[in-house]
Amino acid sequence: MIRREVAIVGIGQTAYGKALPGTAWDLALEAILGALADAGLEPRDVDGICRFAPPFEPVSEPQLVRALGIPELRFFAESPLGGEALGAVLAHAAAAVTAGLAGTVVVYRALSQSRGGRFGRADGRGPGGPAGSAGAAADADVVVPEEDNRSFAWPYGLMSPGQLFALWARRYAIVHGLSDEDLTRALGTIAITQRAYANNNQNAMMRDRKMDVDDYRGARMISEPLRLFDLCLENDGACAYVVTSAGRARRLRDDPVYVLSATQTLSPYREPMGIYVTGELLELFPPATAMRLFTEAGVGRGDIDVAEFYDATSYMPLRSLESYGFVPDGQAWRYVTEAGTGPGSPLPVNTHGGHLSEAYLHGMNGVLEAVRQLRGTASNQVPGAAVALVGAPAGSAMILAR
Amino acid sequence: MAVVPGMTELTAPYWEAAREKRLVVQECQSCRQLWHPPLPRCPHCHAAGPGWRQVRGEGTIYTYTVVRHPTHYAFADKVPYVLAIVELAEGPRLVTAITGAAADEVRGGQPVRVVFRDVADGVTLPYFEPASDQGDNRDQGGNHGTS
Repeated sequence: MIRREVAIVGIGQTAYGKALPGTAWDLALEAILGALADAGLEPRDVDGICRFAPPFEPVSEPQLVRALGIPELRFFAESPLGGEALGAVLAHAAAAVTAGLAGTVVVYRALSQSRGGRFGRADGRGPGGPAGSAGAAADADVVVPEEDNRSFAWPYGLMSPGQLFALWARRYAIVHGLSDEDLTRALGTIAITQRAYANNNQNAMMRDRKMDVDDYRGARMISEPLRLFDLCLENDGACAYVVTSAGRARRLRDDPVYVLSATQTLSPYREPMGIYVTGELLELFPPATAMRLFTEAGVGRGDIDVAEFYDATSYMPLRSLESYGFVPDGQAWRYVTEAGTGPGSPLPVNTHGGHLSEAYLHGMNGVLEAVRQLRGTASNQVPGAAVALVGAPAGSAMILAR
Repeated sequence: MAVVPGMTELTAPYWEAAREKRLVVQECQSCRQLWHPPLPRCPHCHAAGPGWRQVRGEGTIYTYTVVRHPTHYAFADKVPYVLAIVELAEGPRLVTAITGAAADEVRGGQPVRVVFRDVADGVTLPYFEPASDQGDNRDQGGNHGTS
């Protein structure tokens, strides 16, 4: 049990942008130094690191130890499967601290999509190489090496996250009998609500870009039913936070953010970006995992004041409202257009603008936003926020509290 | 130019059957369960040495998406195309693409059947097209057309 045994004591980030001047290594250092300064700690205090596994996280532990002059790491761990690492990296950090394997653990995520492959493109980070490069010469066939069933999907053109999430969103419409208009209204409401949050967030890439329903509906269709603004941003940036014991956290600051629970989960064909060939696609998130998240935290749905849901696409926060048990199955599409998720709603969601309108940091910017909400320092502050949930759609999540 | 599957010892029989215009899935020689994609052992009874069984090639559309914006240069001149997960009559599901139907005519629950297409020298992919008797055979309760 990690409930209230550990706390997030510092957060740091870079600016977010389409193409930042620094490398991912530079960006990681800036975010980590910011998080340590926020905690009142020095790099020499760090003895643990938890991170997203390669190929997602490009900056390694040796790079950080060297560049920060950390004398010795005595615990370091990596979590695979992209967004599925979001809750896992915190769970590992919390486990290490409670087990006495480390005292001060840094968690970070750095992204330089402008210098490497864009997540929204399949070429450039997979077989065939970047368009127009030597590797993509002439009319040569592109051979997809078999790895995690990709050779059964890529030859048909199922290659990128937006296409996979379009299959989920369509399945939701099929099972619940939604018309295209029903789905468009629901997804559009989420995208527009998050954009409005971003318009009031100085960190957000979309701070100055207003969006109304005509902008949303007028945008080009990418992979039906998902339009341009249903998909997340692609950008550079980094986020970091520092985890330590609750007792030490209280000595360091007046407003530590306690970890109530953190989960990771994996079931057959349920890995993010998998091809979902068994079970019900809509049950990507195992209900037992949601139960575990709340039981271990010792709180119920009604105790959650604000939620930051992983949103590679607008469909994911929609379904997450159901998966985490806030709204009955099949009703979130109606709920978001009636109760909504904006300021003053029963459960404000993605108050920073999310991946759709703040920036894409593999969910880590949602963790930082939850910490700001619980400290009472968020741009779109939820009054009196005391408990926050951060969650990815496949069951990688955390509940935090002040 | 085509995007073609790399093969492993485990997956080659699937693609070799496709080249002969046969759709096959793995079958446990002990408990007779079927599954796809291929695994080294039966995921149900864990018996080693699964075999292959030819299936009828009939099924229904479990979900689909019309791709309007290509994310790989190999598909730049192929949009729009319809990706789908098809549930075979025998149970297993597979990723495929729908051919022989206008993009806005594809529906969840629609009956489809396999059709084989040579996409490169020596490479044949199973695609699916609407079954001719659709409309008489919509047995997937709750699957409403949504386009």
